[in-house]
Amino acid sequence: MTAISEFSIAIQRRVGRQRLRRGILGSIPFIFIIFLWELNTYFVWYEPIEIPPIADVWGAIFFMQSDCPGLVAAFQLHNDCQLSNNIMSSVGRVILAAVVGIPFGIAFGILAGINRTISGYLEPVGIFMNSVSGIAWIPLAIVWFGVGWETTLFIMLNTIFWLIFFNTMMGVRAVPKVLVHGVQTLGGSRFDTIWNVYLPGAMPSIITGMRMSLAFGWRALIAAEMIGGDSGLGFMIFVSAVEFKTEEVFLGVILISLIYLMSDRWLLVPLEKWTIERWGLVWKPT
Amino acid sequence: MSGEAKLIIQDLCHHYPDEYTGQSVHALEGINLQVYENEFVAIVGPSGCGKTTLLNIVAGLLPYREGRAMVDGVEIRGPGPDRGVVFQEHAILPWRTVARNIGHGLELQRVPKEETRRRVQEYIDLVGLTGFENRYPHELSGGMKQRVAVARTLCADPVIMLMDEPFAAVDAQTRITLQDELNRIVMATHKTILFITHSVEEAAFLGDRCIVFSRRPGRIKTEIKIDIPREQRVWKEMGTNPKFTEARDQILHLVRQEVTSDDEH
Amino acid sequence: MTSIDLQQTRRFRWKKFATEGAGRLIIFLVGSVILWALISAFLIERPDRYLPSPLSVVLSSADMLYKGSLLSFYSDTLTRLLFGGAVGILIGIPVGLALGLNRTVADMFYPLMNFFQSVSGIAIFPIIVIWFGNSDTTVLIVVLYTSFFPITFNVLSGVRAVPVRYIQAARTLGASRLQVVRDVLLPGAMPSIAVGTRLSVGFAWRAVIAGEMLAGRPGLGNMIFSGQELDNSAQIILGMVMIGITWIVLDHYLLRPLEADTIERWGLVQR
Repeated sequence: MTAISEFSIAIQRRVGRQRLRRGILGSIPFIFIIFLWELNTYFVWYEPIEIPPIADVWGAIFFMQSDCPGLVAAFQLHNDCQLSNNIMSSVGRVILAAVVGIPFGIAFGILAGINRTISGYLEPVGIFMNSVSGIAWIPLAIVWFGVGWETTLFIMLNTIFWLIFFNTMMGVRAVPKVLVHGVQTLGGSRFDTIWNVYLPGAMPSIITGMRMSLAFGWRALIAAEMIGGDSGLGFMIFVSAVEFKTEEVFLGVILISLIYLMSDRWLLVPLEKWTIERWGLVWKPT
Repeated sequence: MSGEAKLIIQDLCHHYPDEYTGQSVHALEGINLQVYENEFVAIVGPSGCGKTTLLNIVAGLLPYREGRAMVDGVEIRGPGPDRGVVFQEHAILPWRTVARNIGHGLELQRVPKEETRRRVQEYIDLVGLTGFENRYPHELSGGMKQRVAVARTLCADPVIMLMDEPFAAVDAQTRITLQDELNRIVMATHKTILFITHSVEEAAFLGDRCIVFSRRPGRIKTEIKIDIPREQRVWKEMGTNPKFTEARDQILHLVRQEVTSDDEH
Repeated sequence: MTSIDLQQTRRFRWKKFATEGAGRLIIFLVGSVILWALISAFLIERPDRYLPSPLSVVLSSADMLYKGSLLSFYSDTLTRLLFGGAVGILIGIPVGLALGLNRTVADMFYPLMNFFQSVSGIAIFPIIVIWFGNSDTTVLIVVLYTSFFPITFNVLSGVRAVPVRYIQAARTLGASRLQVVRDVLLPGAMPSIAVGTRLSVGFAWRAVIAGEMLAGRPGLGNMIFSGQELDNSAQIILGMVMIGITWIVLDHYLLRPLEADTIERWGLVQR
């Protein structure tokens, strides 16, 4: 008894009472869903082809990787490593699109945002491109690049670039002119005002743009892989659904959600908090 | 006043199109002004009289076509480190700490790090922000932010410091403290200052010379010398200083004339 | 006024017209269509396949209008959006409110709702297809899913964010539980309802397009997809332009004013 209560007090101290309470409460619905899901396996209210047992979903990981020679081969994208290949091809596209799209989006966004006339003309371009971006580009991308790697990359890149471009431009426009004047009167050059004022001033808005492009881009990428791709998690779940391998579809959907949630919570949210809280800036979405 | 003229303005006029109607607005008319070395010149006038326009022209933020404006004998073409500006709004950068804001001017002029650090510390101490070096601006009060702005401008060592209603946005109590402190800083650094304000008291308290502006188009209406040594300019004593009260009342009368002459139109 | 002044004024007026509001939009539209026509005519090797000229897109739209397919596609898509979006939002708001009333219940469902609103509706499409086949039901369920969770999550967190002080103040004035909900919690959650609505409709719109493409149901999504299959690029671009314009109109004239209105009227700012 005392040992248990001591243990519980120790945990409460370490994690914090509120966080512990929220953690336990928040996990209840998940546990309940998993419980129901498991019950279905025993009572078979729905056929396994409609809702596969949890064990099958878990087993699908090993089944899909069964021919994979090893970890090194998985990273070398060996042909038989089905699951890891699909994960890496989706994630790789996001990274590649981010590496290209973010710097270009920021650069063009700053150049357009500094000049009021130019940004006035480019604002509708940004709005329009963001409205069509993602899914609606898929058919045209297939016409341009054919089914495969380029089409899916283009969809992701297109989403990232326009969102970052637009958010950077709006962020730069919202930077108070007096900050620019302050740096100019200290002897700052054009480059100095960009590097010291416009870029950090637009930072909260750029990071919002990054979060939005992951949210919209990831969805669009999955759709693009389903419709016009030949690899990736979206392709995987689509093909598995056609072959009625429901456990692989469930596995893919769970992985798609987890990858998105983890990269948003552990990468972008901390980044957002770091700049916004440290600098005391609040970015109001326009 | 002894010394050479640091800022010379000759026959300066300025027009600009109104933002909404597009009609030409006549902001400044035939301004002639000299600011000498170590002099504190305060410009006072009713709101919308073009005093901020004048300051923006001197700062190089506003191009001008008619007349001339020179600092240290060099024609003004765009902003530069020879004219430091303290703006009404807090123009310090939110993403830099106090120390890095104050050292920004030196950083932009590529002054060696060691010297920058030494001078930054000197000015932090001068404006009384010791201990706040690594704070970010959002953690400071309005008065402290303005001290950072003043220190940042001073640290870059400009030929002339321009101040655009720097204490208008802080509360009355802080304003008095800041005015006292500005006096102390002026005594310590011997800076040449052009100070814009709409507060008659502030102008009379700080200025060696007060320039009264007329309503738009802004012209120099009168110039009043206030011959009180800096050491005596402390709010505790100034209230009863006859020279101060006399100058203040005189300026107040002139400014009031400008405001009330509105009714005759 | 002197002649120089007059000239200056005129130049200013022209500049104002060209850089602001409707004038700017007209110049932008005309300019981008000309640019598009030039690129299509001189830079692209096979414009009919890779980038059809504006004229051929207009002709294609006239052709489809004449056949009646354009309007029927358009109304199919809009119906799906309206139905799926409206049902999702109308269920989502009360559910979010109910879950947000009690602190324990709210803490319990917050992570679940957050999880499901992050899971994209398009990703669950293959599961729904297994359950219901390539049918209208599938598309509707995906749309319903994508519109339900964002609004529910936003309402839930909006209700939780109403300061306890307001509730206490209403209680000391003698308000009943129901009156607290009606007078304090609902208005307090109004901005998040508006924000959630915009998010929901935004995601639902994309889901409609993707769902139509994947399930092959008639509509704008299917129109651009079949445009690709039939090698009719003008049809694809026409569909894209319509998708873009519909969303802009929806967002700028309905959702954004709604959001700005509620946030401004209550003097509240999100985040």
